Amino acid sequence: MCELLTEAVSYGFMQRALIVGVLMSLCAGVLGVHLVLKRFSMIGDGLSHVGFAALALASVLHFSPLAVSLPLVIAAAFFILWAQGHSEIQGDAMVGVLSIGALAFGMILIALTTGVNADVNSYLFGSILSMNKTDVVLSVTLCAGVFILYILFYQRVFAVTFDETFAQATGTPTGYYQAVLSLMTAVTIVVGMRVVGALLISGLIIFPALSAMRLCRRYRSVVIVAAVLSPVCCVIGLLLSFFCSAPAGAGIILVQLAAYLLTVFISILRGRSA
Amino acid sequence: MDGFLEMFSYSFIWRAIFVGVLISACAALLGVNLVLRRYSMIGDGLSHVAFGAAAVAMALGAAPLGVSIPVVLAAAFLMLRLGRNTGGLQGDAAIALVSVSAVAIGVMFLSMSSGMNTDVYSYLFGSVLMLDNHDVLLCIVMSAVILICYLLLWNRMFAVTFDETFTKASGLNVDLYQMVLAAMTAIVVVLGMRMMGALLISGLLLIPVLSAMRLCRNFRAVTFAAVCFSVLGYVLGFLLACAFALPVGAVVAGVQVCVFLLLSLVVQS
Repeated sequence: MCELLTEAVSYGFMQRALIVGVLMSLCAGVLGVHLVLKRFSMIGDGLSHVGFAALALASVLHFSPLAVSLPLVIAAAFFILWAQGHSEIQGDAMVGVLSIGALAFGMILIALTTGVNADVNSYLFGSILSMNKTDVVLSVTLCAGVFILYILFYQRVFAVTFDETFAQATGTPTGYYQAVLSLMTAVTIVVGMRVVGALLISGLIIFPALSAMRLCRRYRSVVIVAAVLSPVCCVIGLLLSFFCSAPAGAGIILVQLAAYLLTVFISILRGRSA
Repeated sequence: MDGFLEMFSYSFIWRAIFVGVLISACAALLGVNLVLRRYSMIGDGLSHVAFGAAAVAMALGAAPLGVSIPVVLAAAFLMLRLGRNTGGLQGDAAIALVSVSAVAIGVMFLSMSSGMNTDVYSYLFGSVLMLDNHDVLLCIVMSAVILICYLLLWNRMFAVTFDETFTKASGLNVDLYQMVLAAMTAIVVVLGMRMMGALLISGLLLIPVLSAMRLCRNFRAVTFAAVCFSVLGYVLGFLLACAFALPVGAVVAGVQVCVFLLLSLVVQS
């Protein structure tokens, strides 16, 4: 067991994957609590579809993937936030239109140029094992930025999550904090798409939050449990998929699912309403 | 131009148009109900499940439709049930939970057998070439069932869509109607996935309805307009896709989105 572990960690690509995976899943875990409570569970799905289109665009224009997808996904996140307040259309329908439009655009671009190839596969299902040094530095910087912002704004995020109207009434500029949260979500999703792919990224956001909410009742303990659970599942998933030579993204998500089912089981044993 | 016209001498093109029109009409009908009840994302969730199920079926060498339909039906019930259960999950979290798990399981199964191949992509992005006579028959039966349900149960559908609590109080079995609606949605998603692709089928459920809601104000008009937008958008998208050799699903979804954006700009409500 020990030898297997040292062997896994001795590979450069595994070290890079573990570093990025742990940081990214930490951010996704803590932000997920906010998103699930605000009923934004599907935003990960919507933004990742925009990310897919952005990656297709980047590969057509021969730009660096992050340089194109980061601004576009941030813009999409702001747009969704803005549309919530200013449009007659409901929020979830807006997310749907945006994600379908972006997907259709991305697919038409791909069909017109390269056709379906290994790149498309990696956008959809992730390619954490193929990260190079620059990717790692960028991803780590972005995630660290998100996490520091989250710690700094913790109290405000709490206020905005639970009672936006009250927070506004007491003078908190809620619009501003919502924008910061959207920014953080967008950055997390762009980095996370690299790790688990566009189709699975919403799992990284919702699973830790849902599991933590099964176990704890208070906001702070939910955040802490999610922040611990998410990187742990990520590491276990990465190692397991290494040993079984299975795809890393799907492995991580399945471990998250197993953890969630375990917490459901625990909460039933404790006699809470399941 | 000749090449474009020549395409219509092939029977698979006509099959695709015929099936597409039926499916887009059904999708629009069901979509009205889903959008108004704020279940817009259920189509997206179910299509991910359908992809996962098809992937598992391919890995095991079973018939994709035979596996997908029961699995997606089960997922639809699960999403509704988990979502309603106030103790734990909210509706959108339930949808995301089921759909992500299904995709992860599907990808896992695929990696253990064939790996990513053209078949997998044709499920994700759709392919008109995948339709056979069997599918056509299934589509006709399903569309007939959905249309008849809608016409016969029009008043009840209306009641369930707009005021669930009141309808329940007046003695109607709301849960049963919800189940029927979820089942029909599941079947439309599975059938549509073959043609539009798993990633874009939810566009058919959602966007024509939103376009219709821009134009019309009452339930009947919205339903009627949604069906028209959906069918016309499909036919236009299909012809464009054939003319420029593009993937059908993406072009159809693109046309629908464009119609919606145009209407949003023109009709200031």
